[in-house]
Amino acid sequence: MNEAVIEMDHVSKTYPSQISALSDITLEILSGEFTFIAGPSGSGKSTLLRVLCCAETPTSGEVVVCGMHITGPGFKKIYQLRRTMGIVSQDFKLLRDRTVNENVAFALEVTGHTRKEAKRKASDMLSRVGLEEREGDPILALSAGEQQRVAIARALVNAPPLILADEPTGNLDAKMTLDIMGAFTDLHQKGTTIVFATQFTGLVKRYSYRVIRILGGQIVNGRKTDISKVPEVKAGE
Amino acid sequence: MTFFLQYVIKRTFQNMTGNLFPNFITISIIVISMLIFSTFTLIAFNLTNFLKIWEDKIEIIAYLRQGTPSSEVGPLLNKTRLLDGVEVVRYVSPDDAMGFMEMKLGRQKNLLEGIQPAFLPPSFEIQLKKDFRNSTRIKEVVTQLKEVPQFEEIQYGQEWVETFSVLVHALRLTQWILGGLLLIGIVFITSNTLQLTISSRREEIEVMHWVGARPGFIRVPVYLEGLLQGFLGGGLAILLLFLLHQGLFLYIPPSMQARMAKIPVLFLPPETIAWILLGGTVLGFFGSFVASMRVLKYK
Repeated sequence: MNEAVIEMDHVSKTYPSQISALSDITLEILSGEFTFIAGPSGSGKSTLLRVLCCAETPTSGEVVVCGMHITGPGFKKIYQLRRTMGIVSQDFKLLRDRTVNENVAFALEVTGHTRKEAKRKASDMLSRVGLEEREGDPILALSAGEQQRVAIARALVNAPPLILADEPTGNLDAKMTLDIMGAFTDLHQKGTTIVFATQFTGLVKRYSYRVIRILGGQIVNGRKTDISKVPEVKAGE
Repeated sequence: MTFFLQYVIKRTFQNMTGNLFPNFITISIIVISMLIFSTFTLIAFNLTNFLKIWEDKIEIIAYLRQGTPSSEVGPLLNKTRLLDGVEVVRYVSPDDAMGFMEMKLGRQKNLLEGIQPAFLPPSFEIQLKKDFRNSTRIKEVVTQLKEVPQFEEIQYGQEWVETFSVLVHALRLTQWILGGLLLIGIVFITSNTLQLTISSRREEIEVMHWVGARPGFIRVPVYLEGLLQGFLGGGLAILLLFLLHQGLFLYIPPSMQARMAKIPVLFLPPETIAWILLGGTVLGFFGSFVASMRVLKYK
């Protein structure tokens, strides 16, 4: 039985303007699961992901991610939490003045790897997302789909056990969306836990992964994971 | 660790060269502020030094009452020597006083024609122990002397000493008040310029936050930049002050220089220079710390 990677217990988030972004969210995501967080724009998907990566502090409730009580008193080691996860956002967050390889290697350099090692690992990762021939290109020379793949490569290069993806296909055409979903499916089959927020119901229907539907900051219904399809994650992987 | 240092140094250099204009403005403002503060320090230092030289020469003249029998002079001399704070006492007879006045008047000594030495009162010239040669403790000796009935008047240039002493204190107070204001200004300016530098790297810092860079990786280059700005600002201010100090002496007329020969206008001592440099560096660091607290929170 896989362990829970994410546990949210009665989590709510209300902004000072009294807008309730999340309301009494309780969920558990197991190691190795692929979970869609589905809902229309403004439903609270992004806030949920931001709470999971400590970019937002919930108003109430408890959150445990990869064994870390991130809502616990005095939790300061956000950087340690972030090293356990790869974050992919809709707007890519790539550095425009750097090449494709430099963008991916940057994530390793600033987490203590040598430049040489970072460059080599970045090359390997770019090959995995099919961008080995674009390594030396400036980031602005790439299409939106290619830029998204660079963002995914950067999120994965530290080999995190968890990926949080916030509308990663939001700007992409159908073909690119399928390419990107292929990359995520590939990762999932290798045992990475993926939390994938999207507003596209068509995309959710296409895959038989677990779905948590969210509306007005509340979970309205979901589709349970077929446990038999979740790859077993061994300790230390 | 080596990689971290390499990264920090490289990043700091890139930040400074990539934001030349804001850095130039910050360092210039630090230079001006530190120069004003250092100038006050230099003036106060020289006045204090002058006061010390003067205090070393400080002495009290106690005038004896007219008609004090000469038989009383010897015992009175001994009694005065025993007073707390007194080092040396010299008796100046009316004849000695007349001789002294003639020497002072030089070619105009004929002005003293017709004046009998007996007209000038005899006096004691009292030199003080080192600890008593200041405007506060001299009064303790004067109080003891006033209790001796044979002395008619005690002179020690008290008004001059007190005025000068007040002037030095006022200058020191101005130095610290102005210094305090300038220092707050330096922290404010450094912190604001560094916020500009940080905002020019906003995207990069955001990515660093996302991928889990240690806070030190993000903050230390900013701290080092502030530190360098403060150090350079302080150093340049000292250099400018030194040039001004040297230049000032070149333009002092030789006649005035000759008069000032016994009261040298000194430059700041090495330890004060070190304190000013350290102060500039600490302020630069503090400015960068404030900036990082404002805009480098992990989020």
